[in-house]
Amino acid sequence: MTLTGRAKALRRARRSTSLARREALTFYLLISPWLIGLLLFVLGPMVASLVVSFTRWDLLSPATFIGLQNYEKMLTRDPLFWQSLKVTAIYTCVYVPMELAGGLVLALLLNQRLRFEGVFRTIYYLPSVLPGVAFVVLWIWILHPDVGLLNTLLSYVGIQGPRWLADPGWALPALLMMSLWGLGRSMVIYLASLQGIPRHLYEAASIDGANSWQSFWKITIPLLTPTIFFNLVLSIISTFQTFTSAYVATDGGPLDSTLFYVLYLFRQAFQYFNMGYASALAWVLFLIILALTLLIVRSSGRWVFYEGERR
Amino acid sequence: MKRFALTTTLVILAVLLLTACGSGTEPQAEGTKMILRAGTGDSGEGLEPHQQIIAAFEDENPDILVQLEAVAGRDYYTRLLTQIAAKDAPDIMQIGDDAVPMFVDKGAFLPLDDYIDGDYPLDTSIYLPGVLEPGQWEGKQWLLPKDFTPLGVYYNKIIFDVYGVDYPTDGWTWQDMLETAQALTKDTDGDGKTDIWGIQLTANWTTGFEYWVAAAGGSLISEDGTEFVGYMDSPQTIEAVQFFADLYNTYKVAPPPADFSLWAGGNAEFDNGQAAMRLFGRWPQASYLENPSIELGVVGVPVGDTRANILFWGGFGIFEGTKHPEAAWRFLSYYTGEEGSQVWKDWAIPPVASVADEAGLTTDPIEGVWINELNYLVPRAYVFTPYWNETADPALRKALETVLIEPEANITEVMQTAAQEAQTALEEKLAE
Amino acid sequence: MSAAAGRQAARRSHRGRKRLRTVTSYALAVGGAVLFLLPLFWMVSSSLKPEYQVLQYPPRWLPDPIRWANYAEALTYVPFGRYTLNTLFIASMTIFGHLLSCTVVAYAFARLRAPGKEFLFLVLLATLMLPYPVTMIPIYIGFKTVGWVNSFLPLIVPAFFGSAFYIFLMRQFFLTLPLELEDAARVDGANTLQIIWHVILPISKPALATVAIFTFQASWNDFLGPLIYLHDQTKYTVSLGLSFFRSSYDVQWAYLMAASLVTMLPVIILFFFAQRLFIEGITLTGIKT
Repeated sequence: MTLTGRAKALRRARRSTSLARREALTFYLLISPWLIGLLLFVLGPMVASLVVSFTRWDLLSPATFIGLQNYEKMLTRDPLFWQSLKVTAIYTCVYVPMELAGGLVLALLLNQRLRFEGVFRTIYYLPSVLPGVAFVVLWIWILHPDVGLLNTLLSYVGIQGPRWLADPGWALPALLMMSLWGLGRSMVIYLASLQGIPRHLYEAASIDGANSWQSFWKITIPLLTPTIFFNLVLSIISTFQTFTSAYVATDGGPLDSTLFYVLYLFRQAFQYFNMGYASALAWVLFLIILALTLLIVRSSGRWVFYEGERR
Repeated sequence: MKRFALTTTLVILAVLLLTACGSGTEPQAEGTKMILRAGTGDSGEGLEPHQQIIAAFEDENPDILVQLEAVAGRDYYTRLLTQIAAKDAPDIMQIGDDAVPMFVDKGAFLPLDDYIDGDYPLDTSIYLPGVLEPGQWEGKQWLLPKDFTPLGVYYNKIIFDVYGVDYPTDGWTWQDMLETAQALTKDTDGDGKTDIWGIQLTANWTTGFEYWVAAAGGSLISEDGTEFVGYMDSPQTIEAVQFFADLYNTYKVAPPPADFSLWAGGNAEFDNGQAAMRLFGRWPQASYLENPSIELGVVGVPVGDTRANILFWGGFGIFEGTKHPEAAWRFLSYYTGEEGSQVWKDWAIPPVASVADEAGLTTDPIEGVWINELNYLVPRAYVFTPYWNETADPALRKALETVLIEPEANITEVMQTAAQEAQTALEEKLAE
Repeated sequence: MSAAAGRQAARRSHRGRKRLRTVTSYALAVGGAVLFLLPLFWMVSSSLKPEYQVLQYPPRWLPDPIRWANYAEALTYVPFGRYTLNTLFIASMTIFGHLLSCTVVAYAFARLRAPGKEFLFLVLLATLMLPYPVTMIPIYIGFKTVGWVNSFLPLIVPAFFGSAFYIFLMRQFFLTLPLELEDAARVDGANTLQIIWHVILPISKPALATVAIFTFQASWNDFLGPLIYLHDQTKYTVSLGLSFFRSSYDVQWAYLMAASLVTMLPVIILFFFAQRLFIEGITLTGIKT
């Protein structure tokens, strides 16, 4: 029998119950560290936070049970809840595609065996290596309307730059710009995947007469879909939770134009000491992200292609 | 090669593990020494006076060791909160005046009156005027002063001399200030953009317009802490906010704000020698004295309908859950009393009057101004309610941003909206 | 045109197009690099300025005088040497924990079948979504109860229980690996752990390197964790050290930039060397076509 033939036979054999049971056991054994951690660091605290969301609690005095009042207030009497959702949604819708496409473009660019590619990659990755607060502080300064780098550069070409973080219309775009400087991170993930595409596929394709555009669409992109899926899901999840840049740079202003959801949550928890309300906000955020992710995961069956997946 | 690298890494890891494990536990009492923890939001050089005082205290009290736990900036309160919640806060905690009602109301501190009159008494008359009050809440003393500053006006003599304008004098009025600022706002190169500004203000409502409201005889909240309407939108308040906004929008003597989120404003004009005056607290004074583009003078804030000033303050108190209240008190009274002041006087204005006198600060042309302003203090707006953060603060911030970003806004309407929003939020809080 | 001449013409224009492509690629790469480097250049320049020059207007590009002392002063403002050692320790242990746990769990999700796997995978994804401030307090109280506060343990131990992000990443990566190698090994009688160690790991270097780099970086820059769990100043990490330059009303720009640049170096060095791993023979070896 050929190797593939024997493998197929083995696979068929493994579908029998005792082997399947052994496989299931191995599965659970292998994921046990994660399962335990899940209980300790995730489920336990999550249940605690859900319970807290039904109370009023300022952390220092005992909690009072108030039922669904927090949720009711959030949905009917809190304009800042809706504002923060709006800000976060707009930002996410703009940033995620830009990050996805930008990271991919950079990775493709640097995957071409250019000279000094190590240097190039490091340069692009460099910004995302800066400690979060230092990164933002540097940008606050670059965006300074009077003495900052950006407006100085713009003045060289005769443009009077806007007041960026001090202008409610420009603060959010400013934060977007700031975050795009951290593209290196997603570039690295794409690079790792690009490197994992076996070269012989491209060789075979070019022998068959395909040009680079066709190779790109027929080989690169399909094989990259797991990575794109990965980056898409993670990007949405993390962008929805943007916090540090707004906290350090604008504190939600001016005029609440950069009031991100998690910033608002943080403020409720650590400045107003409304732990109950903050927990309720957290759960609503969780549900929103859950819904979005489910949507993407469901649709992934249609456009994500796994070479090594068993069907 | 790979195996070598792997082995080396594992060895290094093991060594690090062993060394780090050796230092990974809570501080144990060494022999008979008691350990006190002191938390502070100061950082870097600002920690030196703390360390000096601690060293001196430990010399005089060999049975006590004090550990300083420092965290800088806003994050300090985050950590303090988690510590208090887990009943693990430092024995002695530093907080700012704006946090006093909230923390005290939530029972984080021990009342000090019994200690003040107890076995290690503290004579509270030794302090400069106005520096004890921020540590009081509902009739009791909870915290003692560490450092503080009122507002003042810095002026750059270099710019005044260039344009031949007289230096401001103590007791000057709003009108005097406006005229001086107008005389010193210049477009030196004719390009239509102002190059020298009359006075740099702050786009933060507490260092911004709270003083102006006080000097106009207004207040932002009723004394019983239940009413914003009628106070935040009173004629005096509106007059003050109007004048403040006009400095920016109508008279254009103040540079537009560079940053609404930074407490100190983010503007750099005075630092760069491009503004003739600056209304702010004592914090940046040391760097101004060293700045080659500034020849520094300081004068009290201008007088409006009345002469008023507001105090910014940091103080220490004892954590309610401390296991060593008496030792903590001994350290606290040392820290904030005369001995501590002897050290503080090299860094800031010491809270103890006699120490300030002896050091010549009271008569110093610059430091004396700050001390003199202490005679005109009015209570801060947020001492009247523990719910300020959530009710008035957001409303006032929005009001401030609106008057500065939208020059055509109707100030009366803006303040009325702010008063309404704050009132609604307050009523909800009080109903809980 | 003869067939040979036609082919030659095609080859020439192909070469020409290729050269154009290479030139464009270089131009783009260099242009982008300059853009990315500009803020960093600004950072370096400011780190060498005397403090009052930092916010000067009009802004200076080059410091004058160049204040090398900023670096020495910034790094001794607080004991950065000690903080670096602390942070290195925490980061290395965390990497170790992640590589150990995440690989194993990810392999199970990628290759093994079991009832409830799909559900658990969704749970995995779901855990990525819970905002940290909410679980922060219960977890802190938990660590306080077992007496781990004021030690490195709360920052290290959770890594050994896997991390959803890296499990997800490695699972995606494993799914792109062709089955032939594992099938061959299984036919030879290897059990799952042996397959992971002998077959999967050697060809997973890009993913492992990615996990290592990201973990190192996250650990190195982590601020909230050290903030609430480390009380002794001797245990502080680099990120806590940096926060000392930023008080509530004032930022010491020059020192902050100097210190940030220095603390960036280990991560950059790690990245520069690790990304060579990507280049050294990552094509799926062992497949004899």
